[in-house]
Parts: sequence; C-alpha cells; structure tokens
Amino acid sequence: MAIITISRGSYSKGKEVAEKICRKLGYRCLSREVILDASDTYHVPEIKMEKAIHDAPSILERLGRSRNAYVAYYQSALTREVLQDNIVYHGLAGHLLLKGVPHVLKVRIIADLSDRVRSEMAREGVGEKEARSLILKDDQERRKWTQSLYGADPWDSSLYDLIIHIKKFNVEDAVDFICRAAQLKQFQSGSGSRQKLEDLALASQVKAALVEQHNDLMVGCDFGNVVVYTGIKDRSSHKLEKRAKALVHEIKGINNIEVHAEVPAPPDAI
Amino acid sequence: MSIIIVSSDSHELGLEIARKTAARLNYGLAGREILDKVSKKYNIDNKKLARVLEEPPAVWALPSKLWNRYMAYIQEAVLAELVKDNVVCQGLSARLYVLGISHALRVRVLEDPENEIAQLTRQGGISRAKAEKLIERRKNNRRRWSMQAFGLDETDASQYDLAISLSQIDSDEAVKIITDTVAYRRFNPMTYSISCIQDLELAGRVRAALLDEFPDIRVKARNGTLVVETKVLRREKKKKTEAIKKSAGEVPGVEYVEVHAFNDFFRQAAESFR
Repeated sequence: MAIITISRGSYSKGKEVAEKICRKLGYRCLSREVILDASDTYHVPEIKMEKAIHDAPSILERLGRSRNAYVAYYQSALTREVLQDNIVYHGLAGHLLLKGVPHVLKVRIIADLSDRVRSEMAREGVGEKEARSLILKDDQERRKWTQSLYGADPWDSSLYDLIIHIKKFNVEDAVDFICRAAQLKQFQSGSGSRQKLEDLALASQVKAALVEQHNDLMVGCDFGNVVVYTGIKDRSSHKLEKRAKALVHEIKGINNIEVHAEVPAPPDAI
Repeated sequence: MSIIIVSSDSHELGLEIARKTAARLNYGLAGREILDKVSKKYNIDNKKLARVLEEPPAVWALPSKLWNRYMAYIQEAVLAELVKDNVVCQGLSARLYVLGISHALRVRVLEDPENEIAQLTRQGGISRAKAEKLIERRKNNRRRWSMQAFGLDETDASQYDLAISLSQIDSDEAVKIITDTVAYRRFNPMTYSISCIQDLELAGRVRAALLDEFPDIRVKARNGTLVVETKVLRREKKKKTEAIKKSAGEVPGVEYVEVHAFNDFFRQAAESFR
C-alpha cells in the first residue's frame, strides 16, 4: 500500500509508465484531477490554477501573492487525494508537495531528448526544430517553477528514491522496477507514516485557508497540533491568530492551533 | 554476463555497493586496486594516479599532457578488466569513458543526505549548515572534474541507466535492485556489444602506448582497424604519419592503421612568423 509519485519531463513516457503501474497493482492514477479538485474547492478558475502550477513565475508574480495561494490550494487538494493510499501520481512536483511522507516512493523517469522530440513530432504533427524548442522551453519552465517556489532543482537526483532512464529500459521494465520497489516495506504505509501524511494534509488545508490574506506564512502539524509561523508581529499577525482559531471549528482533525510570530519555521513546515 | 559500473558521490558507499553486488553475482570487482597495477607497470607514484581521478588537468596541479597520459594508463587497465566480462567496476569513473556498450549497466548510488550531514557533523565537529556547504562543494568539484576531464557531468542522473537513493532504500535492497536489473535480457552481451568493448580496449591500449611520443592523438578502433587522428605541420605530415603507423602497428591486436592528420593552424601560424 504505497503512494508512488512519478516525475518526468514532457514526452518522457512518464504517463504511460504511471498508467501501466496502476493496471498492474490495481492502484488509482492521479494527475489533472487534482487541478480540477483544487479549482472546485477553492473557487479558482481552472486556467489560472493550471498556469500557476505549470508556468514559471514572472518577476512580477514572484513579488505578488497569488501564486503561493494557488500552490497551497493544489497541495491541499493533492494531500487530500493521496490520503486514500494506493495511488500513482504523475502530475507536477509530487516529490516536493509530498515531501516528508515516508511511504511515498519518489520516482523520476528520464528519456533522451532525441526520443522525446520524436514523440512530440508524432503527437503534435510539428517539425523537429519546433518540437525540440517546445520541449526545451517546457523543461526550462518546470525547472524555473520548482526553483522559484522550492529552491530545489527538479533535476537534482537526491530528491528521488529511484531514477530510471528510458533508453536501455523500456516502459515495461520501468513498470516492473517501480512495482517491485513499491513492495519494499519502507514504502508500505504504517501508523507512523500514515500519521505524517495526515499531518501534512491538515497543514496544507490550514495553509490553503489562510494564505490568501497572509502570504508569508508557513504551517507545521504534529498529531493534529497545528503551528502557524509568520514573519512579523504586527496587526496582521493578530488578525491571523483570530482567523486561525476559527479554523478549529471549520477543519476536522485540528486538536490545537497556535500562531508563532518572528519564530523561524522548522524544516518540515510547508 | 555483464558489466556493472557503479558510481557514487561517496567512495565508501560506492565500494560497499560494488562489493556486495560482485559477491552476490559472483562477479569480479575492478576498483582502486587497479591503480597499483598501473603504478607498477609505468613506474608512477600511486598517489599521482589517485590525484588524476580527483583533480582536473590544470597548470598548477598536474599539467594537462601528464594528466592525459596517466588517465590513458588508467583507462587501459580498466578496459582490460572490463573486456573479461562479469565484472563490477567502481571508483574509476568508468562511466565517463565506457560509452556505447549495451551490456554495461550504469548505476548511480546516492547517499542519504541526512546520513551524510550527520557523519560530517560528528566527525568534523562542524555545524549542519557548514556540513551542507561542504557536501555542495564536493558535488560541484566532482561536476567540474568530470566536465573538464571528459565533457560530461558525472553527477547528472541522465548519464546513468538507474539511480538509487539510499534515503529510504537500504544498501542490501539497492544491491538486489541492481542484481535483478542486470538479469534483464538487454544486459546480456551480444556479438556487437562484445565487439564494441574489445574495440574500446584496443583503442585504450594503443593510446596508452603512443601518448608519450604523440601527446595530441585520438584513437578509435573497429575490428582491429585503427583510426588515429593527430595535428601536424605540413612539412612533418609524412614523417609523423609513418611514425604513428609503425608504433601503433606494434601493439598486439592491431591489423591496420589509418592516420588522419589535420593541419595544425596555430603552430603553422606561429612558425610562419619566425
């Protein structure tokens, strides 16, 4: 009973691998549904949601607040979905949005650029030059997105448990690997790892509820005890405290909620 | 019957994985002890050879001609082991020069970052932040070494068939993943892939034999036929071509030598001002 996240560049056969794993293990496949779910729950236009999740932020957007909010909504929707376990997620940044949950198997699929270009040409009916340009642009956007929001390079191998190069291996081999790795006991959900996932889901929900009015906050959760970290102690932090206290009645599972101003957030806070 | 090339940021970790894999498969292990053989054969200090695998060629470290020669000797010894098959190779950066061999499984093993940090803080008595910086610096040094030496980034996961992080997966499980992977049919040697590794090995031997006399040569081999590329001045083209053919022809296994001599424009221009 694992959660598998598959990270890949466009046309790296990641989607195909994910779907085959789902068929083999009887897991649920998740990708775009998270955007729809987040748009619905938080009343955000799907197009805006998709743009925020997919495109790298422009300079103005980096200074603005809305992108953080969209990512918080997306993370809240994603963590709510994966609470059910037995899921293969092949959307964006699963390895970052589900960080700290032990029974998540984080996989990256790499394919050679020449193979990806061929796939894009076949699918989109474009020439080689255009296909190459589209793929490289897409890769750059994803890289900039991850770096700007998480300070992490998606090509950094240390973010993943397993990286598979689809060249000598074919899709079936990759599926076989991943299925076998998913059976390892470290990737089976136990009470401890399940608790961590529930805490992450709760922290995400709280952040999603607060982030639009208070852009700079971080949220941590431990066994249902939520701590909200904010940068500056002023009038807005009092407002934040009031709003946070109200969430105890709105969000199920919160034992206690506190707001800490001018206190550095721990590394596992989101 | 395959070749497994294990690469890791941590030499100790890579060696542990390589040893366990070789033991499990009953394969040979080609590691840093190869440097002793090279040291004895060419009468070079072992420490200098180890430096070649750590430091890129530079004016203030090992000069590039000497670096190239020592690296060629190491490659010669490594390829001589790999051509025997059923071998696990570690610690010799083989990933960077054993290219195009379909029955070679290239694996990168990544240390658990938290483990690494904990080790450094414990051993060095340094803070977590300093340990993180040290790890980052080591990674950048490695990247710089491989880019300067071979034009390839050794830390780039796309250079490998498989990368396994030990943050959740333990070393025995990683070994099992590697041994299961190498059992796949596509890692069985074929006539063509065996021929490719034999060609690489022959080219390596010839290069090691000739580099002392002809420091700028490039060598490719195909079924006993050698193509040697070099730069020459116009006036020395015939003499140098014949010298290369003679020296290369004396290496066992060489059947025919073709020399491609390119005009050395810079030397030509420099000499024309004299």
